[in-house]
Amino acid sequence: MSGADILFYMLAAMILGSGILSVTTRHIFRAAIFLLFSLIGVAGMYFWMQYEFIAAVQIVVYVGGITVLIIFSIFLTQQAGEKLPEQKMGRQLFAALAAFCGFAFIMLQILRHSFIGTTKTTAEPSVVNIGNQMLGVEQGGYALPFEVVSILLLAALIGCIVIAVRNKTQTT
Amino acid sequence: MFIVNYIKDVFNALKSLAIGLRRTLFYFTHHKEIITEQYPDNRATLHLADRFKGEVVMPHDENNEHRCTGCTACELACPNGTIKVVTKFDMTPEGKKKKAIDKLVYHLELCTMCNLCITACPSDAIKMAQTFEHSVYDRSQLTKVLNKEGSKIMEGVE
Amino acid sequence: MWSFSNIADIIHEWLNKTFNATLATLFEMVIAGVCVIGLFAVLGLILVIMERKVAAWIQIRLGPNRVGPKGMMQSMADTLKLLVKEAMTPDGADKFLFNLAPYIAMMVAMLLMAPIAFASNFMMWNLNIGVLYVSAISSVSVISILMAGWASNNKYSLLGAMRSGAQIVSYELSAGLAILSIVVLSGTLNLNEIVLSQADGWWIFKGHIPVIISFIIFIIAVTAETNRAPFDLAEAESELTAGFHTEYSGMKFALFFLAEYVNVFIVCAIGATLFLGGWMPFHIGHWEGFNHIMDFIPSSLWFFGKTFFLIFLIMWFRWTFPRLRIDQLLNLEWKYLLPIGMFNLLLVTAIAILGWYF
Repeated sequence: MSGADILFYMLAAMILGSGILSVTTRHIFRAAIFLLFSLIGVAGMYFWMQYEFIAAVQIVVYVGGITVLIIFSIFLTQQAGEKLPEQKMGRQLFAALAAFCGFAFIMLQILRHSFIGTTKTTAEPSVVNIGNQMLGVEQGGYALPFEVVSILLLAALIGCIVIAVRNKTQTT
Repeated sequence: MFIVNYIKDVFNALKSLAIGLRRTLFYFTHHKEIITEQYPDNRATLHLADRFKGEVVMPHDENNEHRCTGCTACELACPNGTIKVVTKFDMTPEGKKKKAIDKLVYHLELCTMCNLCITACPSDAIKMAQTFEHSVYDRSQLTKVLNKEGSKIMEGVE
Repeated sequence: MWSFSNIADIIHEWLNKTFNATLATLFEMVIAGVCVIGLFAVLGLILVIMERKVAAWIQIRLGPNRVGPKGMMQSMADTLKLLVKEAMTPDGADKFLFNLAPYIAMMVAMLLMAPIAFASNFMMWNLNIGVLYVSAISSVSVISILMAGWASNNKYSLLGAMRSGAQIVSYELSAGLAILSIVVLSGTLNLNEIVLSQADGWWIFKGHIPVIISFIIFIIAVTAETNRAPFDLAEAESELTAGFHTEYSGMKFALFFLAEYVNVFIVCAIGATLFLGGWMPFHIGHWEGFNHIMDFIPSSLWFFGKTFFLIFLIMWFRWTFPRLRIDQLLNLEWKYLLPIGMFNLLLVTAIAILGWYF
């Protein structure tokens, strides 16, 4: 077993272990923190694969963005130090079934997909390449989806402003 | 114009920040005029402000005479019972009785240095001293008798 | 001539000669880790005494002046005191998270050290996406604060943590925009290449007005991001009894305290790298003679000089400006820094395309 393998198993153990802890703990804040560790582990996996850009984006979006959002919503709605009540059996079963279905679906896809061994040199995932690809208009470029996403974001921004302005006129 | 006001706002803010920074930079580069008193080391040269009040004392002159008539105005003026005047009656040469102080007891541990006794005194017998190292090992040492042993009232003070 | 890169090369060669590749890499990792921890300790000692002295001189005081010559050993004494103090955990606290939070803060600070170029050819990790990495990892630091605030089970801590979370999340945006303006000009995310792109002058001089604007925005934003005065309402001593670290004592408090100072060092190092040329000596265009004279000063001295200048700037802010209210803080970010930063980024892009920089 080489050093890279050891690192891989350590990262995998971190992802899976904190994932399991995240769903089994009864403290809601601890669940969020374990989710965070799981996501950091995924980022570590990207670093392990030397996809630094994806890893950094994973940290920016999931760790710095989504987890902080989750933690904030916990802060605003929950009491510190209280345990959550035990869930009903039916709900637990349903959740387990849903998780299993998702897992089975993905595993099926992976097993049925025949991966092609490649001898080509791998494309260098540098930021310049990613940028060119993202804004490329020729074959394989992502200019159109990129613009669509930016329009979606713009709509969301305008929606935020509209909501904020309406609240202000109501209160005064 | 909104935009003009906005830009003006930003510039004024930056200007006021710069003024503040210039002031503190001046202090930073001119640390000759340090205001820190390095207290236990500079006992000899320690300078206290005039308004600083340490404790009540009764000045005596070289003949061991003070100006207190025993009128108890200070005792009445004191808001928390710090001063207790014990009076006695002296015989004057003419054979009259005259009121004088036996002891002027001063409880430093109760005093708040409010200065009311000093302003109440009609004959300027007591004043505020600037001593401040009052710590002692026993509370009873803070109860002081202000007039000295065998002192008597100054001539001409009524 | 002795330089950091020479020493690193000698150690690298010796290790590879003596051991096999895996073992050599492992030893190098250990050496790097020990160096970072040592740097942290030294930085903690220096920055604490520097802060106290700067504060004292700005307020025309003397500052610490008892321990050692001119009080320079004061922070040693403080460290010793913190080490021997009992690190308590409050009864109602979530013990696991409470004890974990300071280590997360330190780990984030350690991770941030990796891509910084301390001297020419001397950095721990020549990372392709250094700038993005730094802004990504620094967003994790908010987690440790939130964790500490929640786990303390104390209303002041929770309030402080919430405030600090809102503050860090919002000021990251304008710091990011300010950083992006340099990325646009230099065309790379690698911190070493950004330094190399300033061989004919630092960006703050080459990029003139727009870069100066983004430098001001950057300094304001990182002051807020590191929770320092005038943006220290997350740990306001007078209102929140020190916010998220109210309940911490002993070495756990010291770790938070150290992490704060190390974060200040890191953001200042990033600022120095992006705007003031990092380890690049002061060069002017094509004045070969002048540039050559400047090269005689070692690159590590340039780097630390610039970084400590920026640290002094941030300390100077702290002892000049009064603390902001939370609404003023968010107003400043969302109504002033962010719109100006966005407009400025547009301006920088325009001058980068048109080539209107030196």
